[in-house]
Amino acid sequence: MDEELKRKIEKIYKDTEVEFPERNRMVVKTKKASILSILEFLKREGFRQLKAISCVDWIKECEFELIYHLAPLNSPLHIMVKIRIERKNAETETILKIFENAKVYEREIHELFGVKFKGNPDLSPLFLENWHDLPPFRKDFDTRKYVKKTFDEIPSVEDRNERT
Amino acid sequence: MLKKHLTKFHLWRIEMRELELYFGPQHPGMVGNFSITLKVEGDRILEAIPNPGYLHRGFEKLMELRNWIQNFPFVCRINVIEPDSMEAVYAMAVEKLANIQIPERAKYIRTIVLELGRLASHLFGAWAYANMLGFDTPAQWAMADRDHILDLFEELTGGRVYHIYILPGGVRRDLPDGFEEKVMHFLHGLASKLPDYNETFFENRIFYERAKDIGKIKKEEAIEWAATGQVLRATGVKHDIRKIEPYFAYDKVEFDIPTRADGDAYSRILVIRDEMLESAKIIMQCIEKMPEGKVYERTPNPFKWKIPEGETYVRVESSRGELGLYLVSNGGNTPYRVHFKTPSFNHGLFILPKLLKGASIADVGNIMISLYVVAPEIDR
Amino acid sequence: MDRKNILKWLKEPGKMGHKYSLWAVYFCTGCGIIEVPPTITSQWDAERFGVIPVATPRQANLFMITGYVSVKTLKAIIRTYEQMPEPKYTVAFGSCPINGGMYWDSYNTIKHIDKYIPIDGWIAGCMPRPEAIFIGVTKLWMMIDKGAATGYIRYRKNYKFYRRNQEKLFGKLPWPPLYPVDEKENKNG
Repeated sequence: MDEELKRKIEKIYKDTEVEFPERNRMVVKTKKASILSILEFLKREGFRQLKAISCVDWIKECEFELIYHLAPLNSPLHIMVKIRIERKNAETETILKIFENAKVYEREIHELFGVKFKGNPDLSPLFLENWHDLPPFRKDFDTRKYVKKTFDEIPSVEDRNERT
Repeated sequence: MLKKHLTKFHLWRIEMRELELYFGPQHPGMVGNFSITLKVEGDRILEAIPNPGYLHRGFEKLMELRNWIQNFPFVCRINVIEPDSMEAVYAMAVEKLANIQIPERAKYIRTIVLELGRLASHLFGAWAYANMLGFDTPAQWAMADRDHILDLFEELTGGRVYHIYILPGGVRRDLPDGFEEKVMHFLHGLASKLPDYNETFFENRIFYERAKDIGKIKKEEAIEWAATGQVLRATGVKHDIRKIEPYFAYDKVEFDIPTRADGDAYSRILVIRDEMLESAKIIMQCIEKMPEGKVYERTPNPFKWKIPEGETYVRVESSRGELGLYLVSNGGNTPYRVHFKTPSFNHGLFILPKLLKGASIADVGNIMISLYVVAPEIDR
Repeated sequence: MDRKNILKWLKEPGKMGHKYSLWAVYFCTGCGIIEVPPTITSQWDAERFGVIPVATPRQANLFMITGYVSVKTLKAIIRTYEQMPEPKYTVAFGSCPINGGMYWDSYNTIKHIDKYIPIDGWIAGCMPRPEAIFIGVTKLWMMIDKGAATGYIRYRKNYKFYRRNQEKLFGKLPWPPLYPVDEKENKNG
């Protein structure tokens, strides 16, 4: 089944690489433009569950990598569909039309990495309140510096050593 | 004057106003630090907007700053109710990237620890559910039984809640003398209490009336919404990572995947009960079949340990559904990117608001606990 | 009831009443909450010490801050704390509220909880065991006896400094001050 699927994908999508890094895992590397059609194709092939969307910040290459994790029921094959997008003004198409539960994952990535998803109606902050700094999961955000700047500046009200 | 009052009263009666109701974080019906904003009309919920982030610590960022072994105290704190599956999934990913084979005995011990953790988690869930619906007696029993498991864990690992027992290369130490007998004794004790649990809780008519047809999901919807764990199994789909992609010693033991057909809260809780029996079965078989030998494969000095470049996705079946970890290494002594795919994230933020639509306010906690939403797992 | 304490009961019935009925707010602020259900159920039975969880802060006089506190939770904690009737006691539970614990470099957790609300006692550990909770409760009894558990009085006295710290973190607070804040006086805290 796996080899057949690989042949099918490579036949339809010319600029796509398919690899098997280990048993039961398949990596599909594709371009930003064809992500929607490839996900739709995979959904028709039986990969009906979107498990998660991960994002990796490759700061040296100035790129974000988005990984869509798909899995079918009752088959051990797990597919990771990868696209790379520019780090500056990061923006990509939403996949809400294909997988409805992408909503929350896209919202999370928008908040933590600052990737914009065109067409997603709700990209409001999920975890953080009043956040004015860089998106925290980016590699150039220094959390230790932020802690020093924010929390350590606030003075104590009482002397801790005074009371025992 | 009176007339004015009467018209006011009259107006108030015919006009049903839409109200906004904050449910949590400080709310007796809320388990965990989580909040839902409900838009209600009378008792009916028009819209539910989950509002997470009360427990966000930025684990995935912090783990990028610590080396491979230092991350073990971190991963177990992501899910306080069942920390062992978190340790197991992280250890599995590190082993896969560093290409470490673990001894056979360690696999069995890990299986026992994971299943004990699952039992403890399910008992905690039963406590929460029973307590929520006002069944105080079975709630007290469930919590007391969970404490026996915590005692076993304490003897094995030294910690009641967080164990840090599973490490890359195996487990931290071998089972203490007489541990197997104690586990067997506990399991027999738990099984002998099952009729009592059934009578007071699982097959109690009042509970049945309270949980039946609440939070119903159809089979197609559950698949479409990427539900896992009991939420999916309660709709009749036989889906379990332990069978699909067996890890540790799960391919050497026999067990069933309990399912129900209805997809409501009652089915979910019955699936949980049946899973507890299966867990007990697995532990007994593991104790029987466990080989002798060493339990720990030496790994390099943690301060100098560099893991070759690569990425992997590993998954285990935790007590709430599929738990995955996407781990990327760039050849350094810290992870480059860690991303946990936690079951509660999807269940709590996506499925819960869908189920709450049209339900009554009294059922919010009912539905939420039956989906087994654990707040720290959402926020991470 | 302890027979030796009978005189104390006659002298200060209110104080003894507070001491032996510490009703805790049922607020799961962090992962420390995992040790609270065993503590309040039959295995450890916190009711021996008069500690029971209650539904609303209006009925409670003990606030256990269980575990790490994120910025968003702190807002809820302050609101909950200000709703409790006096006398009220706060116990910080676990090492994270004391100094940040293992989340010392996390961008979203509070490092020192006592900069924002007053704390009467600390229970160290991650997690503190149920025994530690009981030791903490008995210590709190002793403090109440001696009149040393004065968190709520200090909150009233130093309210403007606490409020200043809270506003430093959150920006302008959406709720009015609990106690009058005199704008003219300068800071000294």
